[in-house]
Amino acid sequence: MRRIAPRDMVPAMLSPEELQILATSLNVAGRAVIFSLPVAIFCAWALSKHSFPGKAVLDAVVHLPLVLPPVLVGYLLLIVFGLRGPVGGWLKAAFNIQLAFTAEGASLATAVMAFPLMVRAIRLSFEATDRGLFDAAAVLRASPWDRFWSLALPLAWPGVLAGAVTAFAAGLGEFGAVITFASNVEGKTQTIPLAIYSVLQIPGGEAQAWRLATISMTAAVAGLVAAEVLQRWARRRLEG
Amino acid sequence: MSLEVRDALVKRGAFALAADFETPAEGITVVFGPSGAGKSMLLATVAGLNRLERGVVRFNGRVLEDVAARTRIPAHNRGIGLVFQDARLFPHLTVKGNLHYAESRRPADRNAPIVTEIAKRLDLENLLDRPVKNLSGGEKSRVALARAIVSAPEFLLLDEPFAALDGRRRRGYLAMLRELSASEKLPMMVVTHQIDDAAELADHVIAVKGGQVVASGTASAVMRKEVFGGLLDRRDLGARVDGGAVVGGREVGGVWVRADNVLVATEPPKGLSARNVWEGRIASITREAGGGILVSIATGQGYISSRITDQALNELSLREGEKAWAVVKTHSL
Repeated sequence: MRRIAPRDMVPAMLSPEELQILATSLNVAGRAVIFSLPVAIFCAWALSKHSFPGKAVLDAVVHLPLVLPPVLVGYLLLIVFGLRGPVGGWLKAAFNIQLAFTAEGASLATAVMAFPLMVRAIRLSFEATDRGLFDAAAVLRASPWDRFWSLALPLAWPGVLAGAVTAFAAGLGEFGAVITFASNVEGKTQTIPLAIYSVLQIPGGEAQAWRLATISMTAAVAGLVAAEVLQRWARRRLEG
Repeated sequence: MSLEVRDALVKRGAFALAADFETPAEGITVVFGPSGAGKSMLLATVAGLNRLERGVVRFNGRVLEDVAARTRIPAHNRGIGLVFQDARLFPHLTVKGNLHYAESRRPADRNAPIVTEIAKRLDLENLLDRPVKNLSGGEKSRVALARAIVSAPEFLLLDEPFAALDGRRRRGYLAMLRELSASEKLPMMVVTHQIDDAAELADHVIAVKGGQVVASGTASAVMRKEVFGGLLDRRDLGARVDGGAVVGGREVGGVWVRADNVLVATEPPKGLSARNVWEGRIASITREAGGGILVSIATGQGYISSRITDQALNELSLREGEKAWAVVKTHSL
């Protein structure tokens, strides 16, 4: 009997269509996290500071996707980034980039929805850092910018990773904003939750939906476990 | 060359600190006062970590902060080092990493010992590759001091740097601070609430009480009963004897002699084991609220106080202006 390597097991268990859906999901969520991470770090850093003008406004804007209906976020994105929107029209004219109804657009919608989660996790990590260390660095001639790179970021790094992983896991399941802004295009923007939605429209699609649900749950649980491990590492590191 | 703080006011929550003094930027200045007097706040203000409400801070003629002129040099551009009481080592770096952090940010034109050199002097060589979280309190203090010295500040502030050390190690640390200050030509300002440490280290003293700088000047001028009385517990009352006293076979900067450890004689003592006998004249006799009597004797090097009983005062018939000998047990120093 031929031994099956674990590497071959996943493709063996999944159909080509399911593999395509999983790949689209990973791609959309992955890009969403990678491109929004620097912005999230910056916002989290700013919000962890004592005070600055406009802090309340920034805080509200960052958290908005958490409280708005996802379908509304998708619609707002369509208005701004759609082909006739101010930013979308300019992107198309200047760079021939289209976001609405594309995988890139699905990433943008996912990034916006996962953004508050990411900022909150990273901000907690910044806030858990002993402020006294920054004073200690200042009297060793480290400028604020230097202190950010040499102290704040390295100390918060595990928390930053945890935030990114949490956002990634949440991003895999984003539905409302994605379907509104990027639509449900098989092979392009059809992520796992969109695919589940599609098969449920078909009579007798429950079996297929269950298979997709299992994939979805496996990915989500793996993400949460990874985030928890990183959080623990972060705590140990900051204990000093 | 001096640190000048003029008409300064700093607030933190409900606590306010008012300061107006000048101290030479050479040797060691001790900031002395009871706990909660505002000593640490004073250091943080000089270092640039607290914002002044009003006033001016100048170092060697350079304005560090002037509220009226809206001038403020941030902490990282002041060239003033600060060793915190709790060491504040960077937890994600090793001991060596902490020292390199300081070394790599030192301006090229500032001379200071390199990492290996300072590690040798402060006995840190075996710790260099250790993560800082596994160090003992005393080790952390030494690493924090080494890190500050490697950064080559023009003025080094130390906040209770010996808090984590006990008895003998503490003595060694004090001696090392004096040596480092002299050999690196590094002026220091050291906060302490221990009168013995203050007397041993101080060339200059800034006395702080209840959020006020109440006195400043040379150690021999400030550390007198008249000025220091209000800062000390009854049992700590005494006087500082200037350098020249020998403790444990080593000459020290100064020694705090508690009045309870001093005997008064009206004739030169004979056949005594006490090594430290000072000759002088009685400068004052004061009755304390607690019932004792403080006799202050002016010697060649300053004043020395003795606490005696009513009975002794009558038996010896001590009078102001008369000759007297102060006898101190070396053990008590």
